[in-house]
Amino acid sequence: MREPTYFVLASLLDGPLHGYAIIQRAAHLSGGRVRLATGTLYTALDRLTADGYVELVREETVNGRVRRSYGLTPPGADALRAEATRMAEAARLVTGRCRRLTASGSARKTSPA
Amino acid sequence: MTRLERRCRWLLRAYPGWYRRERAGEMLDTLLEASPPGRNWPSFREARALAIGSLRARGWAFFLSILWAGTGAAGAGYIFLLSTHLPAIPTYSRIPCWAGEPGVIIDAGYLGAAAWLALTIPVLVTGLIRFNGLGTPAAAWGGAWIAGLALMVPVARWQTSAPAVQACNNQGCSLAGYSHAVVSWGELPVCAAWLALEAVMMLILARTTPARCVPQRTVTST
Repeated sequence: MREPTYFVLASLLDGPLHGYAIIQRAAHLSGGRVRLATGTLYTALDRLTADGYVELVREETVNGRVRRSYGLTPPGADALRAEATRMAEAARLVTGRCRRLTASGSARKTSPA
Repeated sequence: MTRLERRCRWLLRAYPGWYRRERAGEMLDTLLEASPPGRNWPSFREARALAIGSLRARGWAFFLSILWAGTGAAGAGYIFLLSTHLPAIPTYSRIPCWAGEPGVIIDAGYLGAAAWLALTIPVLVTGLIRFNGLGTPAAAWGGAWIAGLALMVPVARWQTSAPAVQACNNQGCSLAGYSHAVVSWGELPVCAAWLALEAVMMLILARTTPARCVPQRTVTST
């Protein structure tokens, strides 16, 4: 799962949102790293709806234009959770080993050659 | 309608009709919300994302056809340029050149010709995949493809038997006093016909909804 996709799904965890709200929420959740352009967002939504991860839940008219809100489906929530677990495991692998590396590195530096 | 809205609408026209009918309204809404107040133009990022998104929506067949038509049109432009120049002396390379032609243009010509040839079969394959099960448009499109290739056969033959090559063969590459252009005028109508065929092919493709389009929507709560 690519990072923008991950943050699009994560932005829907607290309930359905419409296009621009997803962009804002994804930017907020990622600390400003994921700045989705409109074209990118709708390409992602097309794919996610086709995969059954996201569904259209509300349609309203705002300023004479249609506004659609999208929500996370149970399979979408499962996929998001699986990805989060995978990333947490991958992170643990490195963070655990990094501490050991730094420790042995500093030990080597102080020991006589 | 504000200036920004008009320009966003114009950018959204890059998407195929079947997609716009479904999505253009909410995409316009999002674009306008995402643009900071006081802007008259959508940002470069937004425009680029729309261009890429529209190519994705149109699919591989359209993307490859655009490239194919583009390199073909560049080739037609090159042939037109050649018709106004004298041939290169004394060697004749595998693509026709004019006397004193910059090496950059010759290299670009080789590259374009190679790209056009390499794209020919992928364009046919992706196109036929797109038209899966559609009778008349598929037949019209395939016919235009064959006609376009058939048009290129005489051009290729004229080029190998061009006056410049003949003169080169007969006179041991001495073209002193030679006063004919590299290409004959017969090649220009062929190029025009090819471009027209390409335009027809793109139109047929643009009007076809790909098998994998915007999914069926069901509003679960209103």
